[in-house]
Amino acid sequence: MKVESNLNSGRTEPLLRVTGLSQQFVQRRTLSRSKFTVNAFSDVDLALFAGRTLALVGESGAGKSSLARCVALLDQPTAGKIELEGRDLLALGRKALIPIHGQIQMIFQDPTSAMNPSRSAGEIIAEPLVVQGEGTKAQRRERALHLMEQVGLDPRSEGKRPFEFSGGQRQRLAIARGLALGPRVLIFDEVLSNLDALNQSLILRLLADLQRSHSLAYLHVSHDLRLVSEFADDVALMCEGRIVEQQDARKLFESPKHSYTRDLLATVQSVDSILLERSA
Amino acid sequence: MTHRQKLVGALVLLAAFQFLILFAGFFAPYGFAAQDREQPFAAPTTVHFWDTQGHFHLRPFIVDSESSEARVYPVRFFVSGTPYKIAGIIPAQVHLFGVEQPGRIFLMGSDAYGRDQFSRFLFGGQSSMLAGLIAALLSVSIGILVGGIAGYYGGWVDELLMRGGELFLALPWLYLLFAVRAALPLHISQWEVFLLLVSVMGLIGWARPARLIRGVVLSAKQRNFVVAARGFGASDAYLLRRHVLPQTYGVLLTQMTLLIPQYVLAEVTLTFLGLGVGEPLPSWGTQLASLQQFYVLSSYWWMFLPALLLIPLFLVFYAAADALQEIHKTVAL
Repeated sequence: MKVESNLNSGRTEPLLRVTGLSQQFVQRRTLSRSKFTVNAFSDVDLALFAGRTLALVGESGAGKSSLARCVALLDQPTAGKIELEGRDLLALGRKALIPIHGQIQMIFQDPTSAMNPSRSAGEIIAEPLVVQGEGTKAQRRERALHLMEQVGLDPRSEGKRPFEFSGGQRQRLAIARGLALGPRVLIFDEVLSNLDALNQSLILRLLADLQRSHSLAYLHVSHDLRLVSEFADDVALMCEGRIVEQQDARKLFESPKHSYTRDLLATVQSVDSILLERSA
Repeated sequence: MTHRQKLVGALVLLAAFQFLILFAGFFAPYGFAAQDREQPFAAPTTVHFWDTQGHFHLRPFIVDSESSEARVYPVRFFVSGTPYKIAGIIPAQVHLFGVEQPGRIFLMGSDAYGRDQFSRFLFGGQSSMLAGLIAALLSVSIGILVGGIAGYYGGWVDELLMRGGELFLALPWLYLLFAVRAALPLHISQWEVFLLLVSVMGLIGWARPARLIRGVVLSAKQRNFVVAARGFGASDAYLLRRHVLPQTYGVLLTQMTLLIPQYVLAEVTLTFLGLGVGEPLPSWGTQLASLQQFYVLSSYWWMFLPALLLIPLFLVFYAAADALQEIHKTVAL
């Protein structure tokens, strides 16, 4: 089943295009030689545009995170293409990929586990620069302090360890680190799900500001359709490893085409109605 | 008592003991080879503070009752005696304590040649502890290399290295050591014997730390901050050096602390069997080797003293290892 994607119509070339991307895991049954394959996701097409947010929505186990990791070049897909401005990234060797990593960055769901607990905030933000061999130590520190300010963290807390920050601050720290190399594509893997409502809206505002000022392309993985309606320009719905519907956000919420989308929207509405009933 | 306090306590005790051993020349009243053929297997000397009339003396004294008339020798401090070298370089001859000639003070008795057991215990500690330390370092170094590579790269590399490790675990190493010794010329220098002993002990013991480190690396490389660093374009060498291997240090330190006493004991056992450092060089193994004779075993209980003294020493090592492990556990959480 291939979904008609109407995202490209009347728009410029995408910054990042994913075509026919699949990932399979081969596993062996215990006490047996027989093997079986598990599809994490298959035949996925996506297009990310500068300055726009594509939300990837689906239930747990739908393959969203695996897909995000492949697009972020953290895992190897089994088949398909990932193109950055027309350049096929999967055809590149390891060496040639190193600078590309700077252009595509991923922010993880749990910022605590995504940071080395023994490093200070300043070191954590500057690490991508160290890895890419950019600037002198003083320049890197200056950049780290600037980034802290940009994401709304006090630069004076550069010496603090991750555990000394609150959950929301930690996510800001992770975003600052993600921005260090000046990426053009940012991938968020459920970054809002561990935060309270206030921090969710603060982070969303920060992300929107950053997107506007840097013209960033976002791929935002989420399971929360209601939250997605607040920030996504386009929505791709994922079910059992496949994209079942890909639409402009408004159109998708107004007239969902696929039955899965309708079901998902119905559950959101029924939760709303339950809450309404209760408050009444 | 917190784990940190326990660790500090254990480390202070260990440091104090190492200090005694390191400056054995000063703390021992005699040289390790100094003999008194007149007094073989002398029982431990009693140090007195009260005389026969019941008077207390601030300066302790010993009584030599072996000769025809009992003579009293006061224990003197900072006395000049057998020359020695501090840390093997600076010559000195001041000893912490001693008694005037011809008196002899044997705190732990004397051996068959009338050599002071206490002095030999301190000097012997130098070679035994060094053997334990070098062998443990060697084991852990190979362990981190093999375990790190196996855990990080996985796949057939992991399979190959771990099967190799199992082979080493399955080796009847005592007989291997016999075979290695037999393959070498009959007379080799003490240094060569020492090196052989240490390297064989170290080479045989790497499999266990390697397996532990492999386990830590396996989980460490999956952690999000390692994945994130890979996402910045970090190389394997960078990831291992900066993020993965530092997570193994807790296990490594614990392993080191556990292995040192094990290897010290291995040195003692191997020397007992005649495979270790030989006379007149002192080591705890050579000292205890005299227990091979039944008459020594049955008549001179003080010849066991070096073995008894190892028990508290090892217990302190194990306490340190335990505290390290607990601290590491809480840090990891």
